[in-house]
Amino acid sequence: MARHKMFSIKYCIGFTLFFIFSYESKAQSVTVPVTNWNAAIPAITEAGSNYSGTYSSPTNQASINVGLPALLGSVKVYVHYQGNPTWNSSLVLSAKRTSNGSTLCVGCNISGGTNYITVPLTAVELFRISTILSVTSYTGINIQYQVSGVSVTLPAATYNSKIVFTVSN
Amino acid sequence: MRLKKLIMHLIFCLIPCAIFSQSTIALALPVVTLLDIEPTGTFALNFTSPTEAGQALTAPADNTTKWVNYTSAIVSGGLTRRITASVNQVIPGVNIRVQAAAASGAGGGVLGTSSGLVTLSTTATNIITGIGGAFTGTGANNGHRLTISLTVNTYANLSARTNTPIVITYTITD
Repeated sequence: MARHKMFSIKYCIGFTLFFIFSYESKAQSVTVPVTNWNAAIPAITEAGSNYSGTYSSPTNQASINVGLPALLGSVKVYVHYQGNPTWNSSLVLSAKRTSNGSTLCVGCNISGGTNYITVPLTAVELFRISTILSVTSYTGINIQYQVSGVSVTLPAATYNSKIVFTVSN
Repeated sequence: MRLKKLIMHLIFCLIPCAIFSQSTIALALPVVTLLDIEPTGTFALNFTSPTEAGQALTAPADNTTKWVNYTSAIVSGGLTRRITASVNQVIPGVNIRVQAAAASGAGGGVLGTSSGLVTLSTTATNIITGIGGAFTGTGANNGHRLTISLTVNTYANLSARTNTPIVITYTITD
């Protein structure tokens, strides 16, 4: 009898935890529809001049969609960059959130990231979304990029990097 | 015991996993090669006749009003640039000389090095070498100040002349 009771408890705990695990892993997500930014650098026309140094993308250069599971209090969106394949560390990438996106969630809140932050090689928090026990999603959270440090003192080349967004609670 | 193992195993699986997505940024920095002399305009260098028999001509005062401005962007490991100068004609008995000063002003990067005092001919001669990725700043008081001077090299070859236009051509090249 005791053995049968123990087996039932084990079965219930296992099933419950499995359900929570599989539900969480499917609902938490971030997507960035392909919106690559080819930064337009105006040509230098006057001998002796340098580039102005800082260039910004359109305010809606990237548009992030974030999916949120039921049981998480908040979700954080992180950002970092990777050379793809060649970047110059003197070129400084920055990003900021320029809109709140759209959601059907009542009581959810998006915060942070409205001022430029430097995008490093290791992930840093860009913004976060708080939810109260509801499954929801945010769509169309606009992101603007900026690159600074552009100079003729850097080797003439084409530089490419990947901006990576990561969501985690 | 087995129950404990099962619970620990499933709790471990609950540690949140990071989900990610990405976009790309591309930026092209081209090769740049720009040079000019500032300010624009001509100037005169006139020898002065002596007033006492037996004295030589007096050479004109040096002209120091011109500055070399340039912008240079080269590929990684690429050849550095140099600036040459030449004249359209030489004057018998006279040396036309130019000396670039060290870079000064608002510029940055790998600026060039002066080749010192150079006597010009119709063949291009280096006046600044070793220019890498660099910019001098624009206008007078930025870049390399030029000192342009005339001296007598062979007195016997001098002949009287007025308004002989001398064009100095400056070139930036690899």
